[in-house]
Amino acid sequence: MSSFHGLEMAKQALFAQQSALYTTGHNIANANTKGYSRQRVQFETDTPFPVGSRNRPEIPGQLGTGVRAGSVERVRDQFLDTQFRGENSKAGYWEAKAAALSRMENVMNETSDNGLAKSMDLFWNSLQDLATNPTNSGARSVVVQRGIALADTFNYLSNSLTKIQGDLQSEINHTVDVANSLMNQINEINKQVKQIEPHGYLANDLYDERDRLIDELSGIVDIKVSYTSSGNGALKTADGLATIELVQGDNKITLVDGEELNYHELKVNYNDTTEINVIGKKEEVPIDTSSFTGSLNALVHAYDEVYPEMISDLDAMAKAFKKEFNKVHGQGYDLNGDQGKNFFEGSLEDGNFKVNDEIIKNPDLIAVSSSEGSDDGDNALDLADVFDEPIEIGDDGEKTSVKEFYESIIGDLGVSAQEANRMTENTYILRSQVDNQRQSVSSVSLDEEMTNMIKFQHAYNAAARSMTAMDELLDKIINGMGIVGR
Amino acid sequence: MRVTQNMISNNMLNHLSNSYSKMNKYMDQLTTGKKVNKPSDDPVTVMKGMNYRSEVSRIEQYQRNTGEVHNWMDNTDAALDQATQALQKLRELAVQASNDTYSEEERQSIAKEAEQIKQDLIDIANTKVNGKYIFNGTNTGEAPIKEGESVNFNTNFVKIEVAAGTELEANVNPENVFGDDESNMFKDIKSFIETLNGDNQETDLNQYIEDFDQRIDNVINARADLGARMNRLDLIEDRLGDQEIVATKMMSDNEDVDYAKAITELITQESIHRAALAAGSRIIQPSLVDFLR
Repeated sequence: MSSFHGLEMAKQALFAQQSALYTTGHNIANANTKGYSRQRVQFETDTPFPVGSRNRPEIPGQLGTGVRAGSVERVRDQFLDTQFRGENSKAGYWEAKAAALSRMENVMNETSDNGLAKSMDLFWNSLQDLATNPTNSGARSVVVQRGIALADTFNYLSNSLTKIQGDLQSEINHTVDVANSLMNQINEINKQVKQIEPHGYLANDLYDERDRLIDELSGIVDIKVSYTSSGNGALKTADGLATIELVQGDNKITLVDGEELNYHELKVNYNDTTEINVIGKKEEVPIDTSSFTGSLNALVHAYDEVYPEMISDLDAMAKAFKKEFNKVHGQGYDLNGDQGKNFFEGSLEDGNFKVNDEIIKNPDLIAVSSSEGSDDGDNALDLADVFDEPIEIGDDGEKTSVKEFYESIIGDLGVSAQEANRMTENTYILRSQVDNQRQSVSSVSLDEEMTNMIKFQHAYNAAARSMTAMDELLDKIINGMGIVGR
Repeated sequence: MRVTQNMISNNMLNHLSNSYSKMNKYMDQLTTGKKVNKPSDDPVTVMKGMNYRSEVSRIEQYQRNTGEVHNWMDNTDAALDQATQALQKLRELAVQASNDTYSEEERQSIAKEAEQIKQDLIDIANTKVNGKYIFNGTNTGEAPIKEGESVNFNTNFVKIEVAAGTELEANVNPENVFGDDESNMFKDIKSFIETLNGDNQETDLNQYIEDFDQRIDNVINARADLGARMNRLDLIEDRLGDQEIVATKMMSDNEDVDYAKAITELITQESIHRAALAAGSRIIQPSLVDFLR
C-alpha cells in the first residue's frame, strides 16, 4: 500500500467530478438546442486493491481506490424515437394534405358572395329579367355581362387550380430535394460515427444530430431505422450506424445504407401519374405513394388526384352547361328573327371558355323568343331552366342539374378538407404526446442541472479537502517524523 | 413523469396557440356573422347554404317578375276602363242619334264626336307602356293599328314566370277586346259615322246600340278575366312574401352565427386564455437559479 495512494485517489476524484461539472455545463449550454439529449457521466468505482493474486499484500479486506469517469452517455429512449417517427409521418401527410385542400377551398371561395354559385344565380336572374322584358336592350346587355362574368369565374377557378397544381409540383420537387439532402447528411454522420466509435467513444452529439435529421426525414416519408455496430472496439452502448429503409407494406427499400455507408436518392418522374423512384444500384425502384404517410405522399395525391379531379369536374360541368345552353339558345329566335347562334364558345380545358364575340358586340342576337318575329321571352325562361334541368355531366351517364352537381363538388371538397383538418389535429396531438414523453426522458432540466452542479461542486471540494488531508499526513511523515527529543 | 422547463414552455406555447386559434374562430364568426367560413368548417351547412342562398335570390327575382306583371295588368286595366267609358259614350251618342227629331246637321256633329272617340279608342288599342304595345300580344314592338280601321292583332299571351314553373299571362287577348280584322269596334264606329253622315241610309241606327252594347260586354268580359288573374297574382305575391321570409329564415338559421352564443364563447375563451397566460407566466419564470446564492 503506497503512501501516495490517498493523493492519487483524491486526484482521480477531482478529475471525475470536474468532468461531470463540464458535462453539466454542456447540458446547460445546450438546454435549448433542438434535438439535444441530456448527457451524464457514468461514474464507476476504480479497481479495488489488492486484486486476488499470489503475491498480494496481507491486508484485511479490499481497499477501494476511488472513482473513475467511465463513459459519457446521452439519456434517450430509442423506442420513443420509433413511436415519434411513426406519428410524425402521419402528421406530415395530413398537414400537407390539409394545406393543399385549404388552398383549394380559398380558391373556390364558396361560402362568400363571390363564388361560382353566385355567378350562376346572377346569370339566372338576368335571364329572368330578360324574359319579362325581352326587347329591352338594357336587360340584354346585363345578360351578356353576367354571361361574361360566369365564363370568367369558370376560367378563374380553372386557372387558379392549375396554377396551384403547378405550385404543388415545385413543392414535390423541393420536398424530394430536402429528403435527398437529409439522407446525404445522415450518411455523412454515419461516416463520422464510424471513425469515432471503434475508439471506444460515444458520439453523443452526432447521435443527437442524426436523430434530429431522421425525425425530419420521417415527416416526408415513412421510414424504419435499424442500427449496425461500427465494428470491434465499439462500446456495447454505442448506437452504431443507422440504416434507413422506406416502408411500404411488407417490402422495404433501403434509402441510407449504414453498412455500405452510402445512400440512394429519390427521384420524381412525371408521366401519366407521378412516380417517385429510389435510384437503386442497378435500376430505379418505384415506391408506392398510396399510403397516408409522409408529406411527399400527400403532395403527390394532391397533385395527381385532388386537383386534377376538381379541374376535370369543372371542365365537365362547363362543357355540359355550354352544350345544353347553346342547344336551348339555338331553339330560340333573336331580335332579327334568326335562330340563336352559340352563346358560349371555347372550352375550359383550352382556357378559352367565353361568350360569343358576336353576341357581346350585338346583344340583339340573344335568342329569347320562341318564334320568328315574336317579341316574347319564352326561350329566356328555358335558358334560365338550363341550370335546373338534369343533364349529363361527365361520361358516367348519370343526369344531374348543373347546380346540384356543383353543390356536390363543394360538398365533397368540404368533407375531404374537414377530414384532413381533423386528422391533422389528431396526429398533432398524438405526436406531441409522444414528443412530450421523449422530452420527459431526454430534455435538459435546468433545476436538475443546477442541483447536479452543486452536487458535483461539493464532491469536488470534498476531494480537494481530502487531498489537503493527505498532504498534511505526508507532511507529518516527511517533516515531523524521526525528530523525537529535538 | 420527469417534467422539464422546456416541456412546460412548449406545452404552454401549444396551449396558447390553440387558445388563439379558438379566439380567432369566434372572431371570424362575430365579424362575418357566419358560423362557417370554409366548406370544411361544416360541409353540410355549406352545401345547404348554397341552396338556400340561391333559393332566396330566386324568390327575390320572382318578386321582381310579379312587379312586372302588375305593371302590365294595371295598365291594361286602366286602358280597358277608358275603352269602356268611350264605348258607353258612343252608345249614348247612338241613342241620341236614333232619335228621329235630330236634324241632319246635329247628326253630323254627333258623327264628329264619334270620330274623336274612335281615335281615342285607336289610341287605347295602341297603348304603349315602357316602350311596349300592351295590346299586341307578344309582338310588343309594333303598333297593332297602323292606319284606318284595319287591325293586325297578335293574340299570343305574354307569359311571365312568377314562381318556379308557374307562368302568368300578363296581357289580354286584344281580339277579345277590340275584335279582329273582319269585325272590330273601329269598323263599327266607322260605319256608324257613315250612317250619321247619311252615306249609309239603309242601316237602322238602333242596330248600332246593340253593336256597341255587344262591344261593351266584350271589354267588360276581358276586364273580368283580367281581374281574376290580378287576384291570382295577389295570391302569388302573398305566397312569395311568405316564401321569402321562410327561405331567409332557413338560410339564416343554417349559417348565421348566434351572437349571444358566440360572444359568450369568446368571453369564456378569453378568460381561459387569461388564466393560461397568468399560470404560464408564473410557472416559466422561476428556476432553482433564482433561489441559489
